[in-house]
Order: sequence, then C-alpha cells, then structure tokens
Amino acid sequence: MAPKAITSPVPDSLYPTLSVLTLAIGLVLTASFFIYEATTSRKTRSLAQELTTGAVASVFLGFGSLFLLIACGVYV
Amino acid sequence: MLRFALTLLLFTLAFGVLSSSPVFSDLILAKVDRRIDLTSQIVRITTSLKVENAGSNPISEILLSFPENQAKHLAYLTATLNEGKGKGKASSGAGLPTEVVIPKDVPDSLTFYSVSLHKGLGKGESLLLDVLAVFTHALEPFPEKISQADIQLLLFQDTAHFLSPYKVMVQSVAVKLPEARVESYTKLEGTKLSGSELKYSPFHNIPPFSYLPIIIHFENNQPFAVAEELVREIEISHWGNVQVTEHYNLFHGGAKNKGEFSRLDYQARPYVRGASAFRRLVARLPPRAHSVYYRDEIGNISTSSLWGDSKKTELEIEPRYPLFGGWRTAFTIGYGLPLRDFLFESDGKRFLNFSFGSPINELVIDTLIVKVVLPEGSKDISASVPFPVKQWQETKFSHLDLVGRPVVVLEKNNVVPEHNEHFQVYYKFNSLSMLREPLMLIFGFFFLFVACIVYMHADLSISKSSASYLAKVQWEEVQATVQQIHNIISHCLTAHDKLEASLRDLSRTGDVQACKATRKSVDSLLKGVSKDLKPLVTFLQSSPQAAHILPKVEELIAKERDLQERLMAKHTTVVDCYEKKLGGREIENRIASNQQKITSLRQEVDDLMEFIDEI
Repeated sequence: MAPKAITSPVPDSLYPTLSVLTLAIGLVLTASFFIYEATTSRKTRSLAQELTTGAVASVFLGFGSLFLLIACGVYV
Repeated sequence: MLRFALTLLLFTLAFGVLSSSPVFSDLILAKVDRRIDLTSQIVRITTSLKVENAGSNPISEILLSFPENQAKHLAYLTATLNEGKGKGKASSGAGLPTEVVIPKDVPDSLTFYSVSLHKGLGKGESLLLDVLAVFTHALEPFPEKISQADIQLLLFQDTAHFLSPYKVMVQSVAVKLPEARVESYTKLEGTKLSGSELKYSPFHNIPPFSYLPIIIHFENNQPFAVAEELVREIEISHWGNVQVTEHYNLFHGGAKNKGEFSRLDYQARPYVRGASAFRRLVARLPPRAHSVYYRDEIGNISTSSLWGDSKKTELEIEPRYPLFGGWRTAFTIGYGLPLRDFLFESDGKRFLNFSFGSPINELVIDTLIVKVVLPEGSKDISASVPFPVKQWQETKFSHLDLVGRPVVVLEKNNVVPEHNEHFQVYYKFNSLSMLREPLMLIFGFFFLFVACIVYMHADLSISKSSASYLAKVQWEEVQATVQQIHNIISHCLTAHDKLEASLRDLSRTGDVQACKATRKSVDSLLKGVSKDLKPLVTFLQSSPQAAHILPKVEELIAKERDLQERLMAKHTTVVDCYEKKLGGREIENRIASNQQKITSLRQEVDDLMEFIDEI
C-alpha cells in the first residue's frame, strides 16, 4: 500500500484569514457579554444567557488564538 | 608507522610459512582496481574486486580487511554487486550487508568486515564487487602547525598492495589528488604522476595479507570543516509544519594556525595568505524550506544567502570570521518544511521520512545527535535507521503541553555525507488528540468568563444592614423596575409600528379585512400592557430612590397612552374611508391634524425612552 501523505486539517494558506474571522466573531461576542453584564441589574440577569454567551465567545476566541499562533509561525 | 609496517611484513612471511586455513584459499581475487580519492578532507577508497571461487564449496561471504589504525577512521563501508561488464558502469542495487567479524587464525592488528552475498558463489564462478570505504581524519597535517602564509601539506599513508585474506592476481592503484602540487610520494617501479593523478603500475601475484606501505605528502586547500558536535532537532506539528533546528560546533580540522593572523594580508591576497582557510559553507536543504534563520549566541548572522528551486533550497552561510586551522565557531541554523513532504501514513501507523545527516556539503561530524520530537499523544514509537545508531527516548516540554512530547534520540559517531540517507520514525496518533490544544485555549478563555460572572454575582459587602447598602439595594430595584417599564413601552411601540405597517399594506393591496384583524390584535395587546404597567408604577411611587425618575416615567406613560389613542383613531378613520371608497385626498384631509400630533408625540416618546435607558 503506497504511503499517503498527511497534511494539516486546514490548508496552510487559510490560517491567517480564519484567525482574523474567528477572533473578530469571538471579540464581538465578548463585547456583547460585557454589555449585558453592565446594563442589566441584579434582578433581571439570567445566568443561562451569561454562561451561553461566555461559552460561545470562548470557543471562538480559543480557535482564533490557536490559528493566530499557527499563522505567526508558532506551530503548537 | 614504519615499525608497524615492518611488523606486518614479518607477520605476512610468518603466516605464509605456517599457513594455511582452507577458508581463505578458496577465493582468489582475479583483478583488483583501487581508486583512492584524496580531493577533499574525506578519503574515499573505491575498490573493484573480481572474485573467483577456486575451491569446491560455494562461498556466501567475502572478507574485507583493514589495518587497525585505518579501521578506527572508517566511517562508512558499502559493498555492491557490479552487474555491468567493464569499469565505468555504476553499480546498481542496494548494498550488501556488511558486519564486523573476528575470524580465527588471523593477525591481531586487522579488522575484518564480512560481506554476505544473496546467492552463494558457486565453484568456478566469479563476480564483480564494488566496495566503497570512507575514512575521516585519515589525512594528517604535516607540518602540524603552519603560519598564515604557509601552504597546508597533508600526509596520507596506505598500502600499495591490497590487504586481503585472499591471494590477488592483478592489482592497480590510482590516487586522485586535489591539486597538481605533490610534495613527495613513495616511488615504486613504474609509478607515474600525471597532472593531479598518481598511478602505481599493476602488481601481480600478491600473497594474502601483504602490505606495502606508501606515503603521499601533498597540498590540499579544500575546506576542512569538522563538526565536533551537531545536534539536529526535528519537531513535527500536525498543524502543517516540520521545524528543523541544527546546532553546530565547528572547527577547522587541518594544520593548526600558529603565529599572528593579519587581517590586512588576508583581505588583500586571500589565496596567498590563508589559502587553507575557508570562508563559506554551502548547505543543501530540501525544497520548499521556509523561515530559514542563521544565528549564534550573539544574534543573527546576516552574511548568508538563500535561493531555491523545485528540487532543493541552497543556503550559503559565511561565519563571522574565516576559519583557519584549529579555530572554532558555533552557530544555529533553523528552517521549516511543509508537513506533506515528510509525514506519511500506511497500515494505520504514521511515519516520518527524513534525512539523517547534515545538509552541509562535505562536512565531517564527530558526534551527531538527531532528536525527533513527536506531538503529544504519540504511542508505539519506533525508529528504523539504515545503519547502526544508539537510540533512546526523552521528553520535551513545549507549547501547550500537559505531559510533554516524546523525543526519539539517535546518536552516531563519525558521520560523513554518505550517511545522508533517509530514516523513518513510526508512531501511532489519534487524530482527535489534535483537538486537545484548542480545547486547552477554550477552557482558559472560559475560565476568564466564569470568573467575570462570579465577580458580578458575588455580594461582597460586609454589613448587610448599613444605610449605604440598603440604599444600593433599593436603587437596584428601581433600576430593574424602570427597565421593565422600558421593555413594555418598547413592546407598545412595536405594536404601533405594526399598525402603521398595516395601513401602508392597505394602501397597497386594499385588503380591509386584514387591516381590521391587525387592529384587533394590537388592541388586545395594548389593553394587557396597561394592566402590567400598573403595579410597576405603584412600586416606583412608593420607593424614595425613584423620586427624580418618577415624573419622567409618568410623563412617558401618559404620552404613550395619548399616542396610542390617536393612532387608533387614525387607523379607524382610514379604514372607514377605504370602506366608503373615498379618494386619497379626502383621507389625508381627515387625518391631517391627527398625523401631525402623532409624529411629534412619537418623537417625544423616543426621547424619553432614551433618557430612561441611560440612568
């Protein structure tokens, strides 16, 4: 069986674009999280919404920072 | 050296007398051609043997012998079968396995290598064998110390007769020198020096283990680059890169430089004052190498040039100073390579196919350490190298590591460019383990968010009954109520917008029934709203903190109610007009005054809403 070459899951040239996109979305979600925290009062806050916004924002920020590291040459 | 040769001669005679182990007299070397290549610091001796089986048993192995002092410089030995007839044809096929053996009844100071044949050599048959032996540090500088202006002369000692346990019928020796300048050489019968090639006339009927020493004293100005220690680190990242970092510790292995070094002399006439020094080294990297750097302890070294094509990337480096005999330098070269050229998958295992030696041309390495760093989570690691090396495993902690990355370390001494073959490292890796790295980052960020939430929810006040704390609590309640009122009013405003939209639809489609239905739903909605607002307003009236907000809120509610009534009136008028099939001008006249008030009220309501939002 001829050996098959292994490549990265994402094409190399896409890393910078992907990192900018995911980081932008992540930062927008972070901003909305903090706006929610600042404008609502203690009574009307909902823990579920806080946690979901935080979770989705952290997923995008996590992937965004990973792609940023790879695009800068730090192949983690 | 001479004494050793004499002892060996005595041995030969004694051996010839005592003789003869039957094993050795089976094979006869009918024709031996030795070509000694002295054009660089690495001595390469290519020997073509025509082996005949003169005995009655088939032979499956052939012995090659080297004197001990030469054998300790032996770096690389291959033997291949030469299928073609006559010289000039390159031998094809892979090398035959060779290994060190210690046969019986042989002189002590010889080292024997045994070449195993795939199919035995039958009685009376003959075959052609090409043997390449590569020696390092075999050229001795003589004089050992030279000044900057002296020429570098080297001494090479070898035997004119082919040292072998078998009888040799015909043998010829040809020595290729780097330049036409030879200081002295052993003159035997029929020796001829033409240009840079030294030929010894053929010798006939040489008994086994015969040794005839020859000494050649010649000039060689090739770069004597010797790496005392080279550590090559190959780091694999499944995100698409193989990063190679090489740490060199180089010195000039020729005649040592004595006296002063005059930079002026060197720069004015480099080929006269400092011919034996070398300035540049050329490295051949794999194609598509990127991010190449060349630095040392001080920092980046800018005297380098890089150019590449689809077959290779050539890096020419110039150390900070030219290297004269005995001088040392240390530097680091690093480059990145695309993953798909080197990492493959077969039979469920992944393997890395990479070259073993250094990419620098004609470099002798005393100790080579190759470290292959595999990603975290690799299991079942094994390495397969085409020549014997010492190997063990280590762990390296790098970016985003929890337990560390497994490292396969291969060590070899006396490495020459012939060792630049590919070796493989096999391992198993689950693709899902790649997700561990982004998951670590995600959890890190999520922890920050959770910390934020906890901070906002935590009530850190010490006294729960102080006046300021109570005031703060009340103010928060007022804020919450006002926000609820704000939400309700914005619901109302959306209902108003729906009414306006239905009016526009009516003017477009003329569907009166749909319009009426919309009005009915909006009506019920607005009725519910006024019920909701009541308790909130009562709370605000009772709370002392809301004193400055209360008038605005009440004004807002009143205005909103007014707006609501006017809108409903306008809506009813328009629908009536449509039912009576009155013209557009007529409709406008009837609602003109109402419309003005509506627009101004709406503006005021919007302003109040904004004001309330900002408290």
